[in-house]
Amino acid sequence: MRRPFGLLGTVAIAASVIGAGAAFAEKKTLFVGMASADAGKLDPHLTATTPDKGLLNWMFNGLVRIRPGQASPEFIEPDIAESWTSNAAGTEWTFHLRPGVQCHHDYGEFTAEDAAYSLRRAATKATSSFSSDFASLEKIEPLDKLTLKLTLKNPAPGFLGYLVNYHGGNMVCKKAAEEMKENFAKMPIGTGPFEFAEYQPQQFVKLVANKKYFRGVPQLDAIVYRYIPSNASRDLAFQSGELDLIYGRQEETWVERIAKLPGAKVATLELAEMSALYLNTAVKPLDDIRVRQAIAHAIDRQAIVAFKGRSTSRLAVSVVPSGYLGTDEHAPLYDYDVAKAKQLLAEAGYPNGVTVKAIHTTLPSMQEVIEVVQAQLKKANINLDVELVEHATFHQKIREDLSPIVHYQAARFPVADVYLTQFYHSRSQVGTPTAVTNFTHCSLADDDIDAARVEPDPVKQKALWKKAQDKLVKEVCGIPIYEQLQVWGWKDNLDLGYELKGSLNLSPPIIETTHFK
Amino acid sequence: MSLAAPRRAAWHYLLAATLKAFNANKTSWVGLGVFLAVAIAAVLAPFIAPYDPLEQDVLYKLRSPTLQHLLGTDSFGRDILSRLLYGARISLLIGFISTLVAMAAGSAIGMAAGWYGGRFDGFIVQLIDVLLAFPSLILGLIIVAMLGPSLTNIIAAIALTSLPAFARIARAPTIAVKQREFVEACRALGYSDARILGRHILPNIFPEILVMASLWLANAIRTEASLAFIGLGIKLPAATWGGMIREGFENILDSAWLALAPGFAILIVVFALNLLGDGLRDAIDPKLRGEG
Amino acid sequence: MTAYIVRRSGLALITLLAVLTLVFVLVRIVPGDPAQVILGDQASREAILAMRVRLGLDRPLLVQYFEFLGGALRGDWGVSMVSGRPVIEEVMAVLPWTLELTLLSLLIGTGVGVPLGVVAAVHRNRLPDYGARIASLLGLSFPPFVSAILLLLLFAIVFPLFPVISATQGSLSAWLQAITLPAINLGLITAAYITRVTRSAMLEVFSEDYVRTARAKGVPWRAVVWRHALRNALIPVITIVGLYLSILIGNSVLTEIVFNRPGLGKLIVGALNQRDYTMLQGMMVIYTFMVVLVNLSTDLAYAAVDPRVKLQ
Repeated sequence: MRRPFGLLGTVAIAASVIGAGAAFAEKKTLFVGMASADAGKLDPHLTATTPDKGLLNWMFNGLVRIRPGQASPEFIEPDIAESWTSNAAGTEWTFHLRPGVQCHHDYGEFTAEDAAYSLRRAATKATSSFSSDFASLEKIEPLDKLTLKLTLKNPAPGFLGYLVNYHGGNMVCKKAAEEMKENFAKMPIGTGPFEFAEYQPQQFVKLVANKKYFRGVPQLDAIVYRYIPSNASRDLAFQSGELDLIYGRQEETWVERIAKLPGAKVATLELAEMSALYLNTAVKPLDDIRVRQAIAHAIDRQAIVAFKGRSTSRLAVSVVPSGYLGTDEHAPLYDYDVAKAKQLLAEAGYPNGVTVKAIHTTLPSMQEVIEVVQAQLKKANINLDVELVEHATFHQKIREDLSPIVHYQAARFPVADVYLTQFYHSRSQVGTPTAVTNFTHCSLADDDIDAARVEPDPVKQKALWKKAQDKLVKEVCGIPIYEQLQVWGWKDNLDLGYELKGSLNLSPPIIETTHFK
Repeated sequence: MSLAAPRRAAWHYLLAATLKAFNANKTSWVGLGVFLAVAIAAVLAPFIAPYDPLEQDVLYKLRSPTLQHLLGTDSFGRDILSRLLYGARISLLIGFISTLVAMAAGSAIGMAAGWYGGRFDGFIVQLIDVLLAFPSLILGLIIVAMLGPSLTNIIAAIALTSLPAFARIARAPTIAVKQREFVEACRALGYSDARILGRHILPNIFPEILVMASLWLANAIRTEASLAFIGLGIKLPAATWGGMIREGFENILDSAWLALAPGFAILIVVFALNLLGDGLRDAIDPKLRGEG
Repeated sequence: MTAYIVRRSGLALITLLAVLTLVFVLVRIVPGDPAQVILGDQASREAILAMRVRLGLDRPLLVQYFEFLGGALRGDWGVSMVSGRPVIEEVMAVLPWTLELTLLSLLIGTGVGVPLGVVAAVHRNRLPDYGARIASLLGLSFPPFVSAILLLLLFAIVFPLFPVISATQGSLSAWLQAITLPAINLGLITAAYITRVTRSAMLEVFSEDYVRTARAKGVPWRAVVWRHALRNALIPVITIVGLYLSILIGNSVLTEIVFNRPGLGKLIVGALNQRDYTMLQGMMVIYTFMVVLVNLSTDLAYAAVDPRVKLQ
């Protein structure tokens, strides 16, 4: 007598019932798909990579913040600090912290001591990649448990912008950071809506809700940030419902395809990251300005924007991204002229062409660009020899001054001073103790940048910034190419809790009111 | 009677035996035919490819096949058919040279081991077994990773992974022939080891080596494509089959052609070579034919 | 028998040392300075010198060699340059994933391959035989990543039946769904291989005297094939399959990439892309140990089972 189904059949049926039951329960875990293969450094004061910043965005607060969904400093609002005052000159700032802000994993209440520690940490070269942002900080004094006083060397009206939850403004907890030292980068402790739970190398980072978050218990229970470098896998997982929010491919075809999917939304966000080639002017053959000019003339920016698609990209205008305070929107960029490029090379002594090396990342949206650039340069007999490495490795190697040409894609706080200082001031030169991200060994704009920073008259300030940009463009320390908006896709049933127009940290903020409908 | 006679006869016999083997199994002809077709297309690539394999057309990305682009375009607007043809050159070049090197070096080592015997032989046997147990891909991957993905390094890495098989194939018959009477006679006449090995033993083992060569050529092509897929192939923007599949995989939701065209190309070439080698082997090994 | 074990183990040890030496040489055969290769053309003298010290390259070659061998034999297989964790720890973290895929693939391969091989042998040179041989040759010719992509295309894109990335939850149905396509991919390729091996082993057995005797005695063909011939043919099959295990692990690299599964394969590729040389070196050593061990065990097991071997 045959038994219906048999053992295997029963198991299968039971399994599918259990599975279906799980699906009906309310969805409280957010699955995010990111394009890199692994985490880099999960320390908000150290990491400069988009994948890491996107994750840390959900774990930290600043003294102040930009309203979630916006990227412009006009929307600065209280975060850990409830209120603040400054003197007329803008050299003294006093912040009143709100009580009851709790550090993750029971590291105690966040006080002015923690804020002071965090700022000192952010201002120190050894512990921060963004120390140059705080070069003007003279004194950091906790006046009492909830009051912090900052004294600046010179007035900086936009100084508040450095204290948002971005880069060095992220507030870390003193006790945890002192205890863990370098291991802080493996288990970062902040005060934000989500706290670190687990890290599986090359797979995912798991965050859980911070039940003691000062704005309220988050409606989501957990976030799983999955590392899926393969574009196809990531997209398919999104389509099939395994991922709720994905880092998109920054190009037209992707936007169109995902927009057509039922139940999916796409957003292209400010801040746009500017893609530029930074040339090491101290090594052969790039030490000859004619070679650099040839490279600049050989790049067809329009073609690259056409390649990426106009809905997600636009032309670069200057060595500073467009729309920032102080950007020269009409900088004298080199035009596309292959004949001129060849002629310049011949003049420089390379009639048969020249080879230049570059270390580059495998991050898909950046790799595509360098491949197009490589083909364009080939037409001018410039052979670009590209060595591909993983994204985090790329960031490490270029900071060791190992790549003659560095293709960097970045957005910074939207004031020209930040970009100019970090990428073109000699103090920021990689390989020096005060290094940030200057790969060019250029220093000709130093004086103008320094003067502009302390100039009180906004008109004169802009003029100085313009002068700096013009010099840098003409000297070909860097070749701006195009600007890339952030592209993210998410499911309709995910309600972010605010309207998303932009994000400084390049990922949509996940806050306490984010939930599934 | 001169001892030179057997030598000539040995090679004549070899040719006759090879043709007989081919005729015994029709599939070997099919395999050979397909493979030769691909090889000829590869050699003629510069003449028959409709486009420059490196020429980009950024507005024409990932298109399905049209009359202008018979297999469509890739993610930079380059013609897939042209890249396929040029990719064939790289795959076949690497495959051939690495197999040739492995064949020459491996057979030499195997014959030496069989001829001299003793502890040297025992050691070589163990080494061969271990190296054979290493998957070609992992061994090749590590060597290329350490040395860097250049043409020479890839050829060397793949040659190293194929070498042990040839050594083993050359060793056993060497041992068998070593014990025969006429070898004793040759030695008594003062013939050098090399002469005996070259003129009397080599022709005997040559059919097996040929079979092995076609099978390992297939393996070499597959390994090279796998390495390129992982990212250890000839550097961009060169057209390699494995590299094209990698790119195609990334863009598979936009156009499947980029992944499928080189995928099937590899399959066809490898299958043809396997048919060839298998057919030859069946013809040579009596037991598998069902006799004996 | 004991003499055999001792001799085999001795040879295995020598082989182990030989391959380890190969690994050692490989890392140092790089033309020029390994530290320079790792750091690149533009590195400063100080950085290169510091890296040489870090890699232990500043000491005499012989000292390095013995330290390396000693470490390898002691179980110290290096530390990852990227994560700082011991290589063995990283390997152990992903080993379960690779093992479960390998074993499931082996199961599928055997389940499909052995019966197919028997059928091919029994119907030698007739249609089922040709069919099986062509099919298995096709299976062997497929590069694993091409077949993986095809499976992905058919069963995850065109017919969205299976998930694309591996599940992190522990439920049985989720696990099954996630591992099915990768296992089928490797399983079918393994089946192709096992079919051929089984077929030739069976044909060998069929030509044995005792088979002819049994048939002459009137024993039904079915019984001869399935009860007597197969059992004897399985011995060499098992041996070869055991050796194939390491090859299977190698093939899993490509499948893991396509299906985004964690495992040894992804670990190696990750170390590659991150230029983690100590990790690569450590993994090579571990792999060598594993291969030698598997070979040795298979040899000994085979000897225990097949009396003819003992007489050698």
